[in-house]
Amino acid sequence: MILIAFMLVSVLSLIIIAATRNHRQMNTVCISQALLFATLAVYIALFQQVPVVSFLVGSQYFFIDHLGLFEVLIATIIFACAAVYARGYVEGLLESGELEKGSLKLFYVAWVLLLMVIVLAFLSDNLALFWIFAELTTIISAMLIAILSARENIDAAIKYIFVASVSMLFAFVGFIFLFEISRVYLGTGTLNWTVLMQHAAGFSPGMMIASFTLVFIGFAAKSGIFPFHTWLPEAHAKAPSAVSAILSGVLLNVGIYGIIRVYAIVHQTTAVATIAPMIAVFGILTIGIAALSMLPQKNLKKLVAFSSVENMGIMLVGLAISTPVALFWVLFHIMAHSLTKASLFFSAGILHRQFRSRFSSDAADEIRDVFRLQPLAAWGILLGGLAIIGMPPFPIFFSEFFIMLQLGAVSLEVLAVVLVLLFIAAAALGYFVLTSFTQVTEPGTPSDIIPYQTPVSMKVPIVILLALLVVIGITLPAGGMAFLNQIVMELKF
Amino acid sequence: MIDTAIVVGIIRILFVCIIITAAYIISTRNLLSVVSVYALQSLTLVGIALALWSLEGSLVLLAIAVVTFVSKVIIIPYFIATIQEKIRIKRDIEFHYLNPTTSLLISMALMLVIYMALVHILEGTPARESLFFFGAVLGISLMLMGMMVTFSRKRAITKVLGFLSMENGVLLFGMFVTELPFIIEFLIIIDLIILVILTTILSVGIDSTLEDYHKRLHRFHLLEEEEEVS
Repeated sequence: MILIAFMLVSVLSLIIIAATRNHRQMNTVCISQALLFATLAVYIALFQQVPVVSFLVGSQYFFIDHLGLFEVLIATIIFACAAVYARGYVEGLLESGELEKGSLKLFYVAWVLLLMVIVLAFLSDNLALFWIFAELTTIISAMLIAILSARENIDAAIKYIFVASVSMLFAFVGFIFLFEISRVYLGTGTLNWTVLMQHAAGFSPGMMIASFTLVFIGFAAKSGIFPFHTWLPEAHAKAPSAVSAILSGVLLNVGIYGIIRVYAIVHQTTAVATIAPMIAVFGILTIGIAALSMLPQKNLKKLVAFSSVENMGIMLVGLAISTPVALFWVLFHIMAHSLTKASLFFSAGILHRQFRSRFSSDAADEIRDVFRLQPLAAWGILLGGLAIIGMPPFPIFFSEFFIMLQLGAVSLEVLAVVLVLLFIAAAALGYFVLTSFTQVTEPGTPSDIIPYQTPVSMKVPIVILLALLVVIGITLPAGGMAFLNQIVMELKF
Repeated sequence: MIDTAIVVGIIRILFVCIIITAAYIISTRNLLSVVSVYALQSLTLVGIALALWSLEGSLVLLAIAVVTFVSKVIIIPYFIATIQEKIRIKRDIEFHYLNPTTSLLISMALMLVIYMALVHILEGTPARESLFFFGAVLGISLMLMGMMVTFSRKRAITKVLGFLSMENGVLLFGMFVTELPFIIEFLIIIDLIILVILTTILSVGIDSTLEDYHKRLHRFHLLEEEEEVS
C-alpha cells in the first residue's frame, strides 16, 4: 500500500507539471512531492512495524527496513530544501537565458522522476531491481546536468553517464555471480537481499570475493571513489547548484548504500578478511587524492565537490573497520555529510551566481567583497566549512571522531596517515576561504560588480539546514540513535 | 529434435562470429559499418540464445532471443543510424590512448587472463562444463573489449556503441553462467534504450556540425574561447 502511495504522489506531480506552464506552480509541485514523501517516511517510521514486508501483495521485490527508511528520510529532506532553493535559482537561470523556457518542463519532470526512482531504489529488496533503479538515477541526473545545454555541461553529463554506466555493468556481472553463488548453495538462485542475508554464512568465500569486487567497482563509480571519481568534480561543479546539492547529498548515498548492503552479506562469510583491507585501501586513497586535489582548487563548487569525494573515503574506511560501533558512526556520517554538503552547495550556488567567470563554470571564481555583497552565503560557506571539516558542535565532529577512535584501535599508523590527509583537506578549505573572502575593495574606489539580488527562497534552505545540523549536533536525539542501532542490528554486524 | 552435437557445433561457430565482430568494432574507423556490425553481433547473440533454447528448452531463453532481436537488432541500430545521418559524421579517426593494433593485442591478452581467472573463480560450480565455461570467458572478454572502445574513442556516438557491445557481453555471460529471471533481462533492455536515446541526443550536441547548435553556444560565450585558441 505504502509503495503505491509513493507512486501515486509522483504520478500526480507529473500530471500537474505536464498541465501547467507556470514555473512557480511546477516548483510548488516539486516541493510538495518531497514533503509528502517525507511525511510518508516519517509515518512509516513512527506507526509501522519496520521492516515492512507486506505492502505489495506477496512481493519479494520491495521492502522497507530501517536502512532504506533512513536513506529515504535524508533524500526527501534534501529534495525538499533543494526544491525550495530551485524556486529562486531556476528563475534566475531563466532570466539570464541559461535555461531555455522550453527545457523548464523537462527539468521538473526529471526532478520528480529522480526522487521517485531514488526512493524506489532504497526500498528495493531485490538487488537486481536496486541495480536498475540505481542506473536510472544516473541517467535522470545526467539529464539534469545537461539541461543547461552548454557544451561543457553536455561533456560533463556524458562523462558521468559513461563512467558510471560502464562501471555499473561490472556491478551487474557481480550480481550474476552472487545469483550463481546462491544457486549453488540454495538450489534455486535468488537476488533477494533478505534471503541472501539469512543464508550468507554458507556462501563460498572465493566466489564471494569476485562478486563483491565487481559490485564494488560499480557502486564505487556511483559514489565517486578513487579511481572512478574522475566524473564527479566536473559533474558537480557544472550542474545547476540545486542539482549539485542533490548529486552530492543524495546520489552519492545510493552508491554507498549499495556497497553497505553487499558488504553486510560479505561480512558474514570468511571473505571479509580479504575484502575489508581492500576497501580500506581504496578509502584511504580516495581521501588522499581528494585532499591533494583540494589544495590548489580556485573554484568553490569544485572544491566542495572534492570534499564530497573525501567524505566518501571516510565512509569506506569506517566500513572497512567493520565493528558495530564503526558502522553506527558511518551511518551517522552519511546523514551529517548529506545535510552539510547540501547547505554548502546552496551557499556556493549563490556565490557562483555572483562571482562566476563568464567563460566557464569551472574557471577560478573572482570573489571580492563577499561579506558586503552576499553576507548570508559567506556565512553559509564559513559555518558549512567548519561543519564539513568536523568542528564541534556540528554532527560530523562526532562521526569523524568515533570513526577515528575505532580506526586507532585497529592500527595507529593508518590513523596517523588518515588524520594528516584530513588535516590537508581542512587546510585547503581554510586556505580558500582566507584568500578569497578577504579580498576587499578599498572604500571609495568605484566597483563594477553588480550585486546579485538573492531571492529569499535561496536563503531559507541554507538557514534551515544549518539550524538542523546544530540541533542534531548539540542534542544527538536519542530516538535517532536508537534508529541507527536498529540498522546496525538488521545488517547483522 | 536436432542432434545435441550439431547444436554445440553451431554455438561454437557463433562464438567465433562474436569474436570477429568485437575485433571489427575495436579496429574499424568507419562509423556506418560499426552500427551494422553491432546489429550483426546482436543477431549472433539471438542465434546463440535460440541454440541454447533448443538444447535446454527453457522459455526464458526464447524470450531473451525475441527481446534482443526486437531491441538490439532493429530498434537501437536503426535509431543510431538515423542520428548518424543527422550529424553527418562518417568516420571516427580519433583515438584517445590506444590505436587499433594495440587494442587488438591487448584484447587477446585480456582473454587469456580472464580464462585463467575464471578457472579459479568458477571452480566447483555447474558452469565448469567446457561449452558454458567458454561462453562465460567470451562474455567477459566482449565486455572488456567494449569498455576499451568506450574509453579509447573520442566521439560520443562510438562510445555508445562500445557500451552497447559491453552490454552484449554481459548478456552472453548471464546466459552461460546462470539463469537469470526474465524480468531482469527485460528491465536491462529498457535501461539500455533510455541510455542510448539520451546519449545520442546529447552527442548530437557535441558531435554535430549543425549551424543552429553553434549559434546557441555563441550565445553563452562558450565558443569564443575556443575560437581564440584555434
